[in-house]
Amino acid sequence: MKKRLGIISLFVLLFIAFIVVWNFSYQTGLEEAYIPIEKTQANSYIPSESGVFQRSEFALEYANMPIDKNHERTLDSYYNNRAYHGAPPSIPHTIKDEKSFGGNTCLQCHQNGGFVSKFNAYAPVTPHPEMVNCRQCHVAQNSRTLFKSANLIKVQAPKVGVNNALIGTPPMIPHQIQMRENCLSCHAGPAAPKEIRVSHPERINCRQCHVPTDRLVSEIKPFTRTNSNNDE
Amino acid sequence: MHMTNSLSTRRSFLKRMAKLSAITAAATMFPGILFASEQEEGIPNSANLDWKKGPCRFCGVGCGILVGTENGKAVAVKGDPNSSVNKGLLCVKGYHQTMCIQSKDRLTHALVKKNGKYVKTPISEALDIVANKMKDTISAHGKDSVAMYTSGQSTIPEGYVASKLMKGAIGTNNLDCNARLCMASAVTGFLTTFGADEPMGCYEDIDHADYFITWGNNMAEMHPVLFSRMLEQKTRRGAKIIDFATRTTRSSTASDRSILFEPQTDLAVANAICYEIINNGWVNKSFVEKHCSFSKGLTNIGYGVEDKFKFTDKPEKIDFASYKEFLKDYTPEKVEKYSKVSAKDIKYLASIYGDPNKKVVSYWCMGMNQHTRGTWMNNLMYNIHLLTGKISQPGNGPFSLTGQPSACGTAREVGTFTHKLPHGVVMNEKDRRMAAKIWKVPYERIPAKPTYHATEMFRAVDRGDIKFIWTQATNPLVSLPKTSRYRPAMEKKSCFVVVSDVFPTPTSDVADVILPASWHIEKSGLYGNSERRTQHWDKMIEGPGDTTPDAWMFIEVAKRMGYGDLFPYSKENHVEEIYNEYRQFHEGAKHGMAPLEVLKKESGAIWPYVNGKSTQWRFNAKYDPACTNGEDFDFYGKPDGRAVIWQRPYEPAPEVPDSDYPFWLNTGRVIEHWHTGSMTRRIPVLHKAMPHAYAEFHPEDAKALGIRNGENIKVTSRRGSCVLPASINERGLPTKGQVFVPFFDENMMINDVTLDAFCPISKEPDYKKCAVKVEKA
Repeated sequence: MKKRLGIISLFVLLFIAFIVVWNFSYQTGLEEAYIPIEKTQANSYIPSESGVFQRSEFALEYANMPIDKNHERTLDSYYNNRAYHGAPPSIPHTIKDEKSFGGNTCLQCHQNGGFVSKFNAYAPVTPHPEMVNCRQCHVAQNSRTLFKSANLIKVQAPKVGVNNALIGTPPMIPHQIQMRENCLSCHAGPAAPKEIRVSHPERINCRQCHVPTDRLVSEIKPFTRTNSNNDE
Repeated sequence: MHMTNSLSTRRSFLKRMAKLSAITAAATMFPGILFASEQEEGIPNSANLDWKKGPCRFCGVGCGILVGTENGKAVAVKGDPNSSVNKGLLCVKGYHQTMCIQSKDRLTHALVKKNGKYVKTPISEALDIVANKMKDTISAHGKDSVAMYTSGQSTIPEGYVASKLMKGAIGTNNLDCNARLCMASAVTGFLTTFGADEPMGCYEDIDHADYFITWGNNMAEMHPVLFSRMLEQKTRRGAKIIDFATRTTRSSTASDRSILFEPQTDLAVANAICYEIINNGWVNKSFVEKHCSFSKGLTNIGYGVEDKFKFTDKPEKIDFASYKEFLKDYTPEKVEKYSKVSAKDIKYLASIYGDPNKKVVSYWCMGMNQHTRGTWMNNLMYNIHLLTGKISQPGNGPFSLTGQPSACGTAREVGTFTHKLPHGVVMNEKDRRMAAKIWKVPYERIPAKPTYHATEMFRAVDRGDIKFIWTQATNPLVSLPKTSRYRPAMEKKSCFVVVSDVFPTPTSDVADVILPASWHIEKSGLYGNSERRTQHWDKMIEGPGDTTPDAWMFIEVAKRMGYGDLFPYSKENHVEEIYNEYRQFHEGAKHGMAPLEVLKKESGAIWPYVNGKSTQWRFNAKYDPACTNGEDFDFYGKPDGRAVIWQRPYEPAPEVPDSDYPFWLNTGRVIEHWHTGSMTRRIPVLHKAMPHAYAEFHPEDAKALGIRNGENIKVTSRRGSCVLPASINERGLPTKGQVFVPFFDENMMINDVTLDAFCPISKEPDYKKCAVKVEKA
């Protein structure tokens, strides 16, 4: 009896030890498998230069184009077509062929713009015509009702005429320019909202005078001298 | 009712038409300054401002600016529509330049170091200390123990009194300036080829040229206003831009063609272009026969990396046949092997220069000048234009650009280099006699031997040979190469350091006395830009505290040292008095300077200013009254009236990538910041657009090293290291095997890494090539 009890308690001990050891090794194994996420510095303050000079071949035409007062877009209508400032605009018109791909359909009007009598408007020009799967980001608005309403806070869109550092100096760029490196597509031509249509599209090298401001990207602290030994 | 209605509509229609035509007329004259009413909403009215003209404070383009002041404060800047340089347009630095004056750490009072601490000191007392220290050092250690290091940002009067004080009053040639770091190779290039410094053409060439070929020169960022003029010709006339560089930049993107080359091989490519021009019979024979001669100089000329390096070239006349023979080593097929420029591209470039019906302007700046063979490279550029006769004509010519607002006007024309005098060089007795006469000093006082060029000057500080140095309007401890040596050198007790500046910098950090300087528009002055244009401005606002114009601080110290009779200028009017004295040096058809009355009225004038007229194209008899040989062209800088075509070979860089240090390091600028950033980083708009430096990589190199965008990396050379975030294909894209870092950031000192090798002829350092390794920080 005593012998049997001894054997049973030995097995019980072994079993407990097994559970402890197994648990311990399982837990440490878990920790080892865990790959920490490295933090990388955000470096987005230097905007990409790709496509900066695209469309510059049309600059002179833009400069000489008469303004069609009756079909001008406004900045309000420009922002109204976006979920929030900076979001991809939605498609405000019907689409001829659901199965079509951007290169064959959307770009017909949106690569270079022009007057579309069907919609009685000038087609806005895309700043990134190389991305042809348009409806990956741009979707139609096929319903006026919502599935469930929500309390969305709309980010205040940048205003015109308040981005100058000094009286009369060239305004800073108050929006992000990722995928919008080509300024002329939105700021020149008949589809450009009248408030932001550039008066001098022929200048081409926009960032010679207009540089981005950090207000909407990330706060950049004033210049400080880190190595100086005698800052007063 | 009906009648009035139609009348009023007709009247308003007429009014609208008049307004429209006025706007159209204005728009064609000054594009870029008109805004629709919707766009001006929210912008305060600028009608009550008082606008005053001047040149921009920053680069060598020399744009005309108008500064709007209100109640004694500068509140606005716009381009001067009357300036033919920029026609009303500026760049982002120019528009915001006055914003730095209000910086909180502005130097407003003199600071004197006492027991390791800076003590605010009245300016007159600080100037006493400087003068006494200078006098004591001279009496204890001799004239050549004191030195002055000035700037291409010094005004013409400032450079002039610095030269007069050092060379005329004290009698030492220990005067050099930061233009040695940027323009010296351009100067020696001009002197060896033409015998006369500064470009023969002018910016109006842009309006006539069919091709612009830029050599290692990112003009879209560094000379943006000139680049905008080129872009305008491209869109309006179909002019072509070809970018020949070691890095893909904003300029490459805007160009019709971008051709990349391996660092240092520009020498070989330029020779290959000459080979092609001769081989294809594209030489302008009558031009070369009448106006050119051929020479060769020494080869294997060294790199100046050791202290007290000396070199003197020995020019030797050669004939066309031996030059042609020399070029056989530079066939496009041979050169493509090491330049990484295809023979096809070399032939393409040669065909543009060789086409007699195409007008070509070549532009370059630091890519060619900051080069251990900088003088040679400048010579080779001229060879191409001389062989084809494309020079000194509207739309045809080589054009050397400058980086500082008065690198030409002050450093080169006044001559704030050790070997220079306001007219000529110290080695020439005639020039010394002329200076002594105008300065009213004994001729023997001006030493005939040059002493220290910039790099050697700071080496002498390190060795203890120089015991007193005064720097003005420059920041050498950020801008010198190999600051890892020169920062500790300047910290040594053996040298007393005086720094005149507007803001604290790493250079003022090591000063014994800091003198508070007036900024640009807080004083009157004159600058001279890249196209030989002299520009004057009047003081526009008062500076804060004890701030004083640099020229006046020099004069005050000269008086305290007992040279008062040589500096009889008045505080109110010294700029005018000094300029009128200085003009005597350049009288005559070859370099006559415009009188002050003209400069006050007009937005600058180009010298030689003869009979009330600017000379736009020198050496061309049609435009230049100094041409006297009866031919179409007269290169009167040389005694025989002929420009020299130089036989200059390709020689490798002093330090090339190897297995330990496998990357080229190239340094330069960005559009937002100017030089060491002491001004532009204190302009919020510019700082926020470009808050710190970075290291550009080719994506393939980054991938091989496992470096991600924005990640901190360490760039190390045999001299020092620097930690910066990586930038992969953002602002610029270096060729594979190359790292590019802008040098504006005093918190990320890339010049601790660079090499202080220089061109043996010009003594200008090469900041574009040294070997580095890269690792994660």
